Amino acid sequence: MNGEEHLISMLVNNKPGVLSRVAGVFGRLGYNIESLCVAATTDPEISKITLVSKSNSDSTERTKKQLEKLVDVVEVTELSQIQSVQRELILIGIKLHQEHRAEIARAVDIFGCKIISMKSDYYILEVVDNKEKIETVLNYFAPLGIEEIARTGVIALEKEQ
Amino acid sequence: MKKTGSDIILETLKEEGTDVIFGYPGANTLPIHDRLRESPIRHYLMRHEQAAAHAADGYARATGKVGVCLSTSGPGATNMVTGIATAYMDSTPLIALTGQVTTNLLGSDAFQETDIIGITMPITKHSFLLNDVREVESTLKEAFELARSGRPGPVLVDMPRDVLTASYAGKSRSNNGQRSKKQHTSPKEKLEQIKHIATYLNRAERPIIIIGGGVKLGKACTQLSELIEKGRIPFVTTMMGIGSIDSSNGFNLGFIGTHGNELANSTVHHSDFILAVGTRFSDRSTSTIEEFAPLATIAQIDIDPTSIGKNIKVDLQLISDIGEAITEMIPLIEKKERPEWFQRINKERELSEKRGSCEGCGPAGKLISMIQDIMPEKTIAVADVGLNQIWTVRSWQPKTPRGLITCGGMGTMGFSVPAAIGAKIGVQNQEVVAFSGDGGFYMNIQELATISCYNLPVKIVVFNNGNLGMIRQLQDLFYGSRFNASELGNKVDMVMVAKGFGIDAGRVSVNDPESGIEKMRKTDGPYLLEVMVDPDAYVFPLIPPGLSNIEMIYGRSD
Repeated sequence: MNGEEHLISMLVNNKPGVLSRVAGVFGRLGYNIESLCVAATTDPEISKITLVSKSNSDSTERTKKQLEKLVDVVEVTELSQIQSVQRELILIGIKLHQEHRAEIARAVDIFGCKIISMKSDYYILEVVDNKEKIETVLNYFAPLGIEEIARTGVIALEKEQ
Repeated sequence: MKKTGSDIILETLKEEGTDVIFGYPGANTLPIHDRLRESPIRHYLMRHEQAAAHAADGYARATGKVGVCLSTSGPGATNMVTGIATAYMDSTPLIALTGQVTTNLLGSDAFQETDIIGITMPITKHSFLLNDVREVESTLKEAFELARSGRPGPVLVDMPRDVLTASYAGKSRSNNGQRSKKQHTSPKEKLEQIKHIATYLNRAERPIIIIGGGVKLGKACTQLSELIEKGRIPFVTTMMGIGSIDSSNGFNLGFIGTHGNELANSTVHHSDFILAVGTRFSDRSTSTIEEFAPLATIAQIDIDPTSIGKNIKVDLQLISDIGEAITEMIPLIEKKERPEWFQRINKERELSEKRGSCEGCGPAGKLISMIQDIMPEKTIAVADVGLNQIWTVRSWQPKTPRGLITCGGMGTMGFSVPAAIGAKIGVQNQEVVAFSGDGGFYMNIQELATISCYNLPVKIVVFNNGNLGMIRQLQDLFYGSRFNASELGNKVDMVMVAKGFGIDAGRVSVNDPESGIEKMRKTDGPYLLEVMVDPDAYVFPLIPPGLSNIEMIYGRSD
C-alpha cells in the first residue's frame, strides 16, 4: 500500500479493551498499522502506545481527533524524525553457512550487532537502533540467508518537553 | 446494609434521574428484573428489544433526559444494536444496559453469550463491562456522565449475572476513572475566535446561519434565537435542526439538503458567509461537497472537534459548548439591515412558490398540516423514514425544539412507533403523533401490543401506498421505472390488525381525510389512522444523487 507513514505516540488508560478501541479507529479509517508497541508508563494506570500508521492521507489531524475522542485516550502526539529519538529492537536468526562465516563476523562488528544465541550453525543477532539503520542491517544480511526475524516496532520519545 | 449489584444499579439509576426503563427480560436479567419490582423506577415491557432502544431514544429526544433501555444477553443485546446505532448517529444520550453471562463463563460461547461490547464498539460513545460489584456505582455514574456530556451519545453497560447477584455493603470504589483531557483551546483563544467570527459575520453582505441538531442537544436554542434577532440574520436548518427556532420565525428559510426546500438550498449557495452551528455537514445536507456554497467563508462552532472540518473545508472554527459561545458572541453582533440580501431572498422565495408544477408534498402534506392544526399546540410529531418522513418534516411546523422527532443519521425504518411510545411516556401531558409508511410500520408492528397493554394514547398515522415509497420513487426516477422489491401489496387489512391488537382504528383516503382525523382527535386512548395513498404520490423537489444543492428536480419530467 502506498502512502505516508506517521509516527504516533499516545497515552491511554491501562484497561482491557483499550488497544481494541484504538485499533478500531485505524481500521475504520482504512489505515494500516505498520507497527505497534505498548507498555505501562511509570504510572501503572497509564500506558503508552507508540505506533506507525500508513495512510493515503498526508495529514494526521483527523486520525488524531478520532483517537482523542476515545474515552480511554488521554493524549495523542505525532512525532517527527527531527524532534524525537527513535529506537527499535530486532532479533535476526541467521543460518551459518561455512562460506559466509567471515562476512557475518565482519558485519556483526561493523553494525554493532550482539550475538545473543549461538547454536551449531544458527545465530541470533540483536540490533537496537533507528529504523534506517535496521533496514540497512536487514538489507545487508538478506543475501546471506535470514531465517526469521522479530521486531518490536518503533518506540520514541520527544527530545524536548 | 448489604445490597446486591442489582440494588446498587437501580439506586444509582434513580440518583441519576432515571424514572423509566424500557426493557425486555431474559435469563441473565432475572436478578435485576426481580429488584425492579419494588423500585420506584417504572419498567415498560416492550415487545422487541430493538423497540426498547428506540423507545429510550424517543424518550430522550422528547424530554432532553438520558434514555435507559435494558435487554438480556445474546439475542436480546444484539436486537438492540440497530437502536443503539440510531441513537449514536443522532447523538442521543442513552444508557443501554445488557445482561451478560457470569464472569467465569465469559469467552466460552455459553448459552446466550455474545461480545456485545465488541459488537457495539463503533456505535457507542463508550462501553463498560461490570466485573466488580464494588465498582458498579462509580462505573454507572461515569456512564451517565459520558452519555450526557460533550457530544451526547449511547453508552453500553454490560452486566454479568454474578455481579448482579453479588452483595456488597461498603462504599463505592472508584473504577480509576478517566483523567481529564487536555483542552483544545484556552478561554483566551476561544474569545479570540469568537471575535473573529463576529467580525466576519458583521462584515458579510450575504450571511446565513446553518442550524444543526447540535443546537438543541446543546440547549442553546434561546441564545441562538437572540443572536438571529439582534443581527437580523437569515437561517436555515438541517433536518435534525428543525424546530430549534420556532418554524414561523421570519428569518427561517427552511431546511437544506437532498430533500430540503429550494429557497434554503439556493440561499446557502449564494451566501458569502456561513455560520454553521451544531451541524456535522453530513452528505445529506451538503450534497456534492465540491459544489457546496462556493462563494462562502465558512465558520463552524461545535463541541465535538471531530465534526469540525470533517467534510467541508472550514475557514474559521471554534470548539466550544454552543450555548457558551453564542452567549459571548451576542454583544459583538451588530444589527444590520442588509436590504439587498433580503430583497434577493424574497425574490427567490416568490420564484420557488410560483413553481406551481411542483407536487411538493401533495395531499399527504396537506393532511399532516391538517392534523397539526387540529391537535393541541404542544403536540409532538414523530416521523419514520421514507416518503412519510419527508412529507412530515416539510409539513409539520414545530414551535419548540422537541416538537418534531425523526431519525436522520441512520434513517432507521420502524423508528417512529416505538420512539413515539418513549416520547409519550416522557412527556405525559402532551399529545404524540407517530407518522409512518406501511413499510416502516411493519418493522415494529409488535409494539401495538405494548401500546394497547399500557393504554398509551399515542396516535399513529400510517400512509399506506402498498409500496416502499421512497425506493419506488428512486427506481422510477433513476432506474428507468424498473420497479423491484419495492411493492408490499395490499392484502393486509391494517385496521383489522390494529383492532386485533386492541387499538381503535380507521381508514381514510388521503384526499378525503377529515372524518378520520376528527375521530382520531376525539379518541381518548390510542388510535391508528390508515391513510390510503396513491403509489405515484412522491415527494418533490429533491436532489438527484451526485448533483449539487442547486440542482433540484421538481417532477418526473425534469
